[in-house]
Amino acid sequence: MKRLRAIRELSTVAILIAEVLFFAWYLWPEAGRAHPFLNAENALLILKYSSIYGIAAVGAAVVIISGGIDLSPGAVIALASVIVGHFFVAEQWPLAPSLVAGLSIGAASGLLTSLLVVTVKLPPFIATLGVMGITRGVAFIITEGQYYDVSSRLPSGWQPMGVPIDWLAPLVMFAMAIVFQILMTRFQWGRAVFSIGGNETAALFSGIAIGRVKASVYVISGLLASLAGIVLVLVQGQGKADLATGYELDIIASAVVGGASLAGGRGSVMGAVLGTLIFGVLRNALPQIPGATFYDRLIVGVVVIVIVVADQLLLRRSTKS
Amino acid sequence: MASGFSRIVPTGRSHGAVGYHPSRVSLQFDHIQKSFGATNALRGVSFDVAEGEAHALVGENGAGKSTLLKILAGLVKADRGEMRWQGRAFAPSSPREAIEHGIGMVYQEMLCLPNLSVAANIFCGREICHYGRLDDAAMRSRTRAVLDRLSLKIDPDALAESLSAAHRQLLQVARALAFDCRILVLDEPTTALTDAEADHLFDVLRELKEGGTTILYVSHRLPEVFRLCDRITVLRDGAFVATFTTADVNTNDIVKAMVGRDLPSRDNGPVPTKHEGRSRAQAGEPRLSTNRLARAGHFRRISFSVWRGDIVGIFGLVGSGRSELLETIFGLHRPTAGEICVDGAPVTFRSPRDAARAGIVLVPEERHRQGLWFNFDLRNNLSIPRATLKDAVVIKATGERRDAAAMMGDWGIKAAGIDALPDSLSGGNQQKVVVAKWMATNPRVLLLDEPTKGVDVGAKFEIHEMIRQQARAGLAVLVVSSDLPEILALADRILVMKEGELQGELSGAIATEEDVMRLATHEVVTA
Repeated sequence: MKRLRAIRELSTVAILIAEVLFFAWYLWPEAGRAHPFLNAENALLILKYSSIYGIAAVGAAVVIISGGIDLSPGAVIALASVIVGHFFVAEQWPLAPSLVAGLSIGAASGLLTSLLVVTVKLPPFIATLGVMGITRGVAFIITEGQYYDVSSRLPSGWQPMGVPIDWLAPLVMFAMAIVFQILMTRFQWGRAVFSIGGNETAALFSGIAIGRVKASVYVISGLLASLAGIVLVLVQGQGKADLATGYELDIIASAVVGGASLAGGRGSVMGAVLGTLIFGVLRNALPQIPGATFYDRLIVGVVVIVIVVADQLLLRRSTKS
Repeated sequence: MASGFSRIVPTGRSHGAVGYHPSRVSLQFDHIQKSFGATNALRGVSFDVAEGEAHALVGENGAGKSTLLKILAGLVKADRGEMRWQGRAFAPSSPREAIEHGIGMVYQEMLCLPNLSVAANIFCGREICHYGRLDDAAMRSRTRAVLDRLSLKIDPDALAESLSAAHRQLLQVARALAFDCRILVLDEPTTALTDAEADHLFDVLRELKEGGTTILYVSHRLPEVFRLCDRITVLRDGAFVATFTTADVNTNDIVKAMVGRDLPSRDNGPVPTKHEGRSRAQAGEPRLSTNRLARAGHFRRISFSVWRGDIVGIFGLVGSGRSELLETIFGLHRPTAGEICVDGAPVTFRSPRDAARAGIVLVPEERHRQGLWFNFDLRNNLSIPRATLKDAVVIKATGERRDAAAMMGDWGIKAAGIDALPDSLSGGNQQKVVVAKWMATNPRVLLLDEPTKGVDVGAKFEIHEMIRQQARAGLAVLVVSSDLPEILALADRILVMKEGELQGELSGAIATEEDVMRLATHEVVTA
C-alpha cells in the first residue's frame, strides 16, 4: 500500500507538470516578449492564492480519509478572517491575540462538528452543512455587511518573522502539509484515521478509540480552515463575511484529485495540496487565454472527473496485478 | 464418533394428505452443485417437491439450504445440475424471472419497505398501472382480497412499519399470493416471531395448503416441520441425505439424519487430541464468568465460567443469541441484567476498547466486515490492535515488520509477504490474520465467533490446533460455533443455547452430536 501511495502522489505531480508544460506551450509569447505564465512572479501568485485552499485541504484530506466529509472550511475561513478583523481593528487588540482568537473560532467550530458527528451521530455531510451555515451566519452578524480593513493597521512592508508577506501563505501551506503527512503516515493517530476510514467496524472491534479519533479529525479540519482564514487576512488585508464562498467544494475536489477516496481509507495530505496546485494553475492560466474566461468553471469540472476516472482505472489495474 | 449410522433409507410409502399428489412432481432439483471459492455449498442435491404438498427442507447451519433457495429465487446460479419446474427446465437469472414463473419467496430477513403502505409493499415492482399512472384503487382492492384470503385484518393503506413482526412476515406471504405464486417458499419464517405469532402463521399456511398451494418450508425447528409438512428432506454438508414421509418418522430420526456423519470426520478424530485441560482441576477464580447475564430481546439468565486453559464451546443455531452474548461480553452492547466477572471481579465494558484493555478479545464472525482492513497491508492489519492497546504514538515500522513476519511464520499464514493486501489471501489465511492480530496482544480470554466459517479443511485443522496450543499455554477460550464437529473437537465443556437461554452443559469428552443437537432443537431438556 505504501508503494501504491507513492505512485499515486507521483501521478499527481505528473499531472501538475503536464499542466504547467501545456500552458507554457500554449501561452508561449511572440519573440521578445515576456512569458505571461512562465515567470517567477506568476508562480508566486499561483502559490499564494492556492495556499488558502491548500491549508484547508490538508484538513479536508484528513477528514475524507477518515471516511467523513467537511463542508464548512469556506465558511470557517470567512469567520476566522472576521474574528481577526473584529478584535484587531474594532477592539484594537494587538495582532497576536487577534490571530489566536481567529484560530480558536476554528477549533470551536470543529468541536461543534465533532459533537454533532460523534455524540449526536449525525451524518458528517449534514453536521458540517449545518456548521457551514452557522459559521457563515455568525460572520455576517458580526460584520453587518461591512468589512474590517486589517491592512491599514498592519505596518507597511511588514514581514512576520522575516518572511515577506507574499511568501507567508505558501510557507504555512507546505509546513502544514509536511507536518500532517508525517502524522498521517508515521504516527499511530494517522493509522487510526486510515483504519476508521477503511473499515470502521473492524476499527471498533480492534479497540481503536473511534469517537476520540473522529473528534480530533474535525477539530483539525476546523483549525486548519481558520489558519487559512488568518493567513488570508494577513495577505489580503480584509476581514469579510463573504470571503471564500464556495471554497469547500474546490477544497474537497482538490483532496479527491490528490487521491483521496470519498469512501474513506485512502488518500494523502500531500496529494490534496498538489491537487490545490493543479486547480491553482488552472485558475491562473485559463483567464490568460483569450475567450476562455467563460469556460473556466466548465474546464475545472471536466478536469475533476477525468482525473478521478483515470485514477480509478489505474487503481483497478494495480490491484489486479 | 457418532458415525455409527448408515444412511436412513426413506420409506417409499406415501400417504394421502389433502391436496397432496405425490405422483405429480411440481419442482425437481437434479444434481444441483454450487461452490463459492473453495467451499462446496451444494454437492449434487437431488429431490423433488410434489404438487400440493408441504415439503420441509431441514439441515444444520451450512448444510446448503439457503444456497438452494437462492438458486430457486434467481439470486445465484448453480454451477451444475438442473432445476425442473412444472416439467420444464428452469434456471431463473433474476428474482424477477423467478416471481414471473410463480415462485413465491418469503425470506427470513423480512424484506419490506417500512415507509410504504401495505398495498404498495405487495405490489412493489409490479404495480398496476394505467398508461403509466398508478391505479391505487385496483391495487387496494386486490390487496384487500389477498388479505381476506389470509384472514388478516390489516388496512391496505397502513404503513408497513406500523405492522407487527408477524404481520410483516405475512405481508410477504400476501405478496407472493398476489402474484399468483404456484409454490410458496418460506425460509425460517418464524425466527423473529413469538409463539402466538408463529401459530397464526401456521394456521394460514395450513389453510393455503388445504387450498392446494405447494409449500417448501425451510427450518431447523423440527416441531414446526412436523406440524405442517407432508415430507421432509434433509441436507447435510451440501449433500442430500434423504427424504422422509413425516408420518413414518419422529424427531430423533431427523436429528440423526441431520448430524449423523458418513463423511470422513472433518477433524483429526476429536476426542484423543483434546488437550488435558478437561481433567485439570478448575482451581481458583474463573478467568471469565457471567452471572445471570441478560440482554433484553437476545438472551437471558446466562451463567457460566471459563478457567485458565479451558476451552468452552457454545453451540446454538442461528437466532439463539450466541453471537449477541459474545458481543456483549466484548463491550459492544450493554447487558440489561446480570454481571460479567474477570478473575472474580465484576467488570463493566463500555466499548470493545475497554474489553481489549482488560485482556478480553473477540475474533468476530464476519472477518470481512469486522476483522480486516482491505486498505492496509498485512503488516498494518497484524500490528494495529497491539499498537492501539499499547497507546503507541509513533509507528515503529521496523519492529512491526519484524513482528509481522514472525507472526506469519508462527501462524502459518500463506501470503506473498507482509506487504500483501488481505484480499489476496484465502479465507483460512485471512482468518489466521484476525486470530494472530489479537494473540499478539497477549490476551487473557479469547472469544471466538464461528472461528472457521468459510475456511477450508486444512486451515480449519491448523486453526483448531493453534487454539488448543494457546489454551495449553493458559489462555481461557470461549468459542461459539454452529459447526457441531468443531465444537465437539475443541471444547472441554459444551454449553447449548436455544432461543436466548442455556439449555444445558455437556462434557466435551462424552457428548455426541446427537446429544448436542437434541438440546439445541428439542423442547424437552434431559439432564
